[in-house]
Amino acid sequence: MTLITKDRALAVAMLILCGIFYAESGNIRPPTTWQTYGSAMFPRLLLGVIAVLSILILIRSVLEKRDETQKLTWLSAYQWTKNNYKVLLLFTLFGIYAAALPFAGYLISTIVFLACAIGLLLGLDSRRKSLLTITVSLTAGLAIYVVFQFGLNIWLP
Amino acid sequence: MAEFFTHALSLVSSPSVLLLITIGVLFGIIGGSIPGFTVTMAILVVFPFTFAMDPVSGVSIMIGVFVGGYSGGLVSGVMLGIPGTPSSITTVYDGYPMALKGEPGRALGIGVLASFIGTVISVAVLVLFGPLLAKFSMNFRPWEISTLILFALTLVAGLSNGRLLKGMLAAALGLLITTVGYDRNSNIRFDFDLPTLSSGFEILPVMIGIFAFSQLMENIEKLGDKDSAHKNVSMNVTIPYAKIVKDIMGQKINTLRSSLIGSLVGALPGTGGTVANFISYDQAKKFSRHPEKFGTGIPNGIIASEASNSAVAGGSFVPTLALGIPGDLPMAIMMGVLILHGITPGPLMFEQNPVLVGAIYASLLIGAIVMVLCQLFLVRWFARIALIPQQVLVPVVLMLCAIGAYALNNNLFDIWVLFGFGIIGYLLWKADVPLTPLILGVVLGNNLEQQLFRALELDGSWLTFLTRPLSATFIVLSVLSVILALRQNKKINMQRTDDGGSSPLHRDSTPDHKP
Repeated sequence: MTLITKDRALAVAMLILCGIFYAESGNIRPPTTWQTYGSAMFPRLLLGVIAVLSILILIRSVLEKRDETQKLTWLSAYQWTKNNYKVLLLFTLFGIYAAALPFAGYLISTIVFLACAIGLLLGLDSRRKSLLTITVSLTAGLAIYVVFQFGLNIWLP
Repeated sequence: MAEFFTHALSLVSSPSVLLLITIGVLFGIIGGSIPGFTVTMAILVVFPFTFAMDPVSGVSIMIGVFVGGYSGGLVSGVMLGIPGTPSSITTVYDGYPMALKGEPGRALGIGVLASFIGTVISVAVLVLFGPLLAKFSMNFRPWEISTLILFALTLVAGLSNGRLLKGMLAAALGLLITTVGYDRNSNIRFDFDLPTLSSGFEILPVMIGIFAFSQLMENIEKLGDKDSAHKNVSMNVTIPYAKIVKDIMGQKINTLRSSLIGSLVGALPGTGGTVANFISYDQAKKFSRHPEKFGTGIPNGIIASEASNSAVAGGSFVPTLALGIPGDLPMAIMMGVLILHGITPGPLMFEQNPVLVGAIYASLLIGAIVMVLCQLFLVRWFARIALIPQQVLVPVVLMLCAIGAYALNNNLFDIWVLFGFGIIGYLLWKADVPLTPLILGVVLGNNLEQQLFRALELDGSWLTFLTRPLSATFIVLSVLSVILALRQNKKINMQRTDDGGSSPLHRDSTPDHKP
């Protein structure tokens, strides 16, 4: 029997999430004497619903054979990474962009982010692509800066 | 109401607001015509620009995007054979063949005119039924409101294309997200000792993160899968005006029926243009004297699809304004816009903000007129814009999402919220969890908790939810929607088994990433 499938991984992740949040809900102030239900009731109700649904998904995954076609193995993870490394790199670039914003400011961070991201996705194997990357990065970055800073009076970092 | 509408019309007709509507429509058409971009994304991208505007201007430009976006999918559908938005899928069935026959202008013209008529009819539905529903819902007390929200969430979860359990899980997760931070009793919840979490999460970075990242990364993943065997349609487009009017006049009943289907479907939570265009196309074929001609490039199919998907615009405002429950995903974002401008959609909106309600009606009508003019005069340029590569578009949209999230409160934490929920949204999408119930849960969570607690404070018994007739009705409807969805799931699973499991847990991007 296949051990890990997408549904089982989802169900387990949700159950772990429920556990963590339920433990944290212990820090919520209990109801006062004049309150029937306290602040923890609604989130605990939701955590109960999520837990029950996760268990049902897990049970269904074990009982239904079709889910085994969604199995997760090291090979499938490697294959997916090989085919979709650009997605992972794009997430990483965005994280770096968010971290760099307060230090490098909007203009530099944005232009560099756009140049790197477009270059990653489009490739830089021709002069035309390089030119397009630089042009779009500079134009989009500057245009948004002008619109927000001077048009809408919204200060950018 | 008439004097409020006149006042609203005078506000919306001012040059600055007309310009904003035009910009919104243009952006919506461009967004809708780029395959994979969607109306929702267009709304998300434009939304940050509304922060500095007054409510009427902000809502007007958003409505412009809305109206333009629903008609934008027509352009790439006809010219490239690729629907610009999921709500234009059935437009391709007849629009593209008509274009291949050498009549792209006729296909586009029919679609544009049908879109216009659909929007106008849906505004009439909104004007007629919006106030009626709002008046009726004034009788709703906390029990009815909380069970209505529950019904909306179960309905949306049930419409998740065979993924009921995951849909309900997503809805519950969305509700859970809203519990982070201080609650109505000023008790802090789930801050994990981090001061930044004490104020909870702003709705919009959460929604943008969940929706945008998964949509954009899906577009990147699909880059290698593109079917390049699309025959070329000439970009030289001439609109045969007389022929188009004749085509529409010969399909009066089809146009009216499709518009009403779109309005009704739009008014149901969790549906939207995608469902509307399929139902409408199917009905048009059933009622046609020559159903065998559908799919060969006839006006009937284009009219059915475009009239219905544009009619969703007005229809989806009905529950949003009258009940405070968004009719579809773009409406959920529109609600976020209204809330950010200090306006709470709901039954009282018609009493407390009649001018804004009138401005919405007026903006929809003016937006429809602007849409027709833009499409008819600029359609050949829109067709070229549809060719913008995703490799350029995705990073620019990501950047706009980041700046949009930041501009909300000038708070860098919101960008991290966007990023964090972007990762969560992407992982959930990969796990085949529908995102629409999640986003609706985020939008409705605070209201649900408020109403639930108000009900329990007024009467501590949970049984009151069952003894009050309307509340009990909504509970029964919720249960029925779950049962119907279970039956639907069974049918879908049996079909998958008959297909030999060839497409296990096949994820059609349309239910998740509706326009």
